[in-house]
Amino acid sequence: MRRLLLAFGWFLAMPCLAGQETPYVPARDDIVLQTVASISDPRVRAFGTLRAVLNQDPHDVTRAVKLAEAYLDYGRDTGDARYLGRAEAVIAPWLSHSPAPIPALLVHATILQSRHYFAEARAQLRSILDRDNDNAQAWLTLAAVAQVQGDMRAARQACAHLLTSSDPLIPGACLSSLNAVTGNADNAYRVLTTLWPQARAEPVAVQSWIQGILADTAKYLGDEAGADIHFRLALQLTPEDNFLLADYGDFLLDHKRPQEALDLLKNESQSDTSFLRQVYAEVALGVPQAMTDAQQMASRFAALEVRGTRTYQREQAGFELFVQHNPHRALELAQQNWTVQRAPEDMRVLLEAALADGKPEAAQPVLDALAMTRLQYPIIVSLVVQVKAQMAARPPALAVPQTRSAASVPGRPGG
Amino acid sequence: MSLRGFIAALTLLSAAVLPATALAHKESDAYVNLHTDPANPNALLGQFDVALRDLDFALGIDSNHDGNITWGEVKAHRDAIERYVLPNLAIKGDGLTCQITPTGQMIDAHSDGAYDVIRFKALCDKEVPDQLTILYHLFQDIDPYHRGIISVYARGQTSGAVLGPQNTSTTLNLNRPDRWRQFKSFVIDGIWHIWTGPDHLLFILSLLLPAVLICVRRPRTLFDPGVWQPATRFWPAALELVKVISGFTVSHSVTLSLSVLGFVNLPSRLVESGIALSVIVAAFNNIYPLVTRRAWVVAFAFGFIHGLGFASALAGLKLPPVAMAVSLGGFNVGVEIGQESVVMPLIMLAFVIRKSSFYRVGVLRIGSWIIVAIAGLWLYQRLFDVTIPALAFLTPS
Repeated sequence: MRRLLLAFGWFLAMPCLAGQETPYVPARDDIVLQTVASISDPRVRAFGTLRAVLNQDPHDVTRAVKLAEAYLDYGRDTGDARYLGRAEAVIAPWLSHSPAPIPALLVHATILQSRHYFAEARAQLRSILDRDNDNAQAWLTLAAVAQVQGDMRAARQACAHLLTSSDPLIPGACLSSLNAVTGNADNAYRVLTTLWPQARAEPVAVQSWIQGILADTAKYLGDEAGADIHFRLALQLTPEDNFLLADYGDFLLDHKRPQEALDLLKNESQSDTSFLRQVYAEVALGVPQAMTDAQQMASRFAALEVRGTRTYQREQAGFELFVQHNPHRALELAQQNWTVQRAPEDMRVLLEAALADGKPEAAQPVLDALAMTRLQYPIIVSLVVQVKAQMAARPPALAVPQTRSAASVPGRPGG
Repeated sequence: MSLRGFIAALTLLSAAVLPATALAHKESDAYVNLHTDPANPNALLGQFDVALRDLDFALGIDSNHDGNITWGEVKAHRDAIERYVLPNLAIKGDGLTCQITPTGQMIDAHSDGAYDVIRFKALCDKEVPDQLTILYHLFQDIDPYHRGIISVYARGQTSGAVLGPQNTSTTLNLNRPDRWRQFKSFVIDGIWHIWTGPDHLLFILSLLLPAVLICVRRPRTLFDPGVWQPATRFWPAALELVKVISGFTVSHSVTLSLSVLGFVNLPSRLVESGIALSVIVAAFNNIYPLVTRRAWVVAFAFGFIHGLGFASALAGLKLPPVAMAVSLGGFNVGVEIGQESVVMPLIMLAFVIRKSSFYRVGVLRIGSWIIVAIAGLWLYQRLFDVTIPALAFLTPS
């Protein structure tokens, strides 16, 4: 019955939202209510130009794809997910064609994947590759999606298809990001370091991507200083990158540097992912603002749940665990999240939630996945030790009162 | 493809390779709230919240292009906003369209930014109907992933839906049928809870076994069977049983309700152990009767602890008061049906074979010993947090 209730996000989450906001009439005309994209930003001016070009020939798919890609890039840079829908609207007329043009399908696959519809994205990419087996963009995206789903074999095959291009940079980075999570982080780090000088000639997005993989690889190797350097380099290249900010924020929190995390993220509170890390930092520092911000974060999650978005289950599981101290709900979310994505961070939150809820057997899928991938990430290794100890302490599949404490979990504000 | 061309093709590269982290915001939502108008039975009062971000994208309300939307700019665009937004919402009462007119403009702070609030009135041809149909098309052409979150507050109940391009309309029932469906679903939950809970069944069974017999002489020791006589008529035996079941019902209803409403909260280990103990006591009373006349008192007393056990099936239930009453009522009725459906056939069977020594010795005595043994193991499991694999098939879910 509980699951039945969960299926209807509206019914469950709406009571949390209802009555929370009260409409008001602002006191003065010059009060700023909302900041929006401004045409002083060249990227926003480009929207107008690309739109005009498209309107001259609305049947030209290349023009539509250019505009859609501009929206996606902007959405990613600013973290504003609304641009996913706007890009989708631009290519929508072509998606109903049969067969749909490949560039439009590629944009659509990227949108699906950004919304964590990984299975649908893969199906879309497969259909592209059936028609164009040399489509590098499709193989690279497929590699990334397969990797996040924990399908390492498919990811490796996809990376291997990229090797046909004469240049080793992209396939090298593709394979290295895979090796970094499959027990070959040493090798991945060496390869990426070798490739780096070559990447210097590429656009900053590519450079930042390489530095980001280096940072994560160093992190998995337990090299705190190295990871720190790579994170900072990547952020110098793309300072507004929402993904990097979240990743580096987590890293700082893991290494008991909440003040630095707060300094990094405090101006990014419009972004849910950055704001969540800000709340973690505030909780760790014990600042008074933590309470109100935690409530604000809870209402953001409630708003997501009402519309039926499940993209944030990993983040929400962590929030329930470390801020709301509700390990039971955290475990539910982490288990649901595990059915969608299986990256190291997903393993971690499922391990943490299972431990805190006193149900180590719930983490068995992670142990199985780790047996296949042999990820060496020290934080995960130590969590696995704790989970196995808890399993050994008592036999599995037994309903017992739960230990409701996250205090034993390292690296996050809690207790 | 050459590397140059390849990298050029990778405009989506960064988005492509980092699928694991979520984007920073939720996507576009708007909220439509409808309330019945206490002053006019033909009208609904509405509030339509649309994100300024979305309105700016569609209409360009940042007139001076400075990236800041002020209250002055929002006010200046009021007409344009209403003309753009309101035609995308239609409200139909029992199939007839209600006339929507804007009545005011305000601002609402949502978790992802400021929203323009369009207050409006929807005037229907007749009294607010039993069925309200809402059609929603806002932003369909510029954002297929936009969602309209509809909430209707009418006649003391709340209902709602999430609408979007794939799902542009919803019909909400403002009348009783939903309650009835809700009630039924909880009745079924209650029945299943009993049928799948061997501890509750064994407790009732233990109270049922001696109902078709009369204890003429109590046993003097544990191994003395005592003297039992078959009951002569069926109905007095059945009546005795009805009393037992009713006593049990009254008390478990009380604690079930108190627990679900959050007034009572005992650790589940204590409750589950108490239930196991109750089964032991009830079964032991058949071997060495301490209470022979008023078995219903035993049922009534232990019903309190069983009610707390039933509540675990409804843990976390949060509903408005009326819906809560309907759900709890339904669950209680279901528990009752579940019990009767087991007890009635068994008492008839017991009555038929009550005269045989098989019933007195094999069923009443040995059966009760077996129940004591099973419940004893449950008690041991629950008190000391251990598992007995052989007992798994009898472990209450």
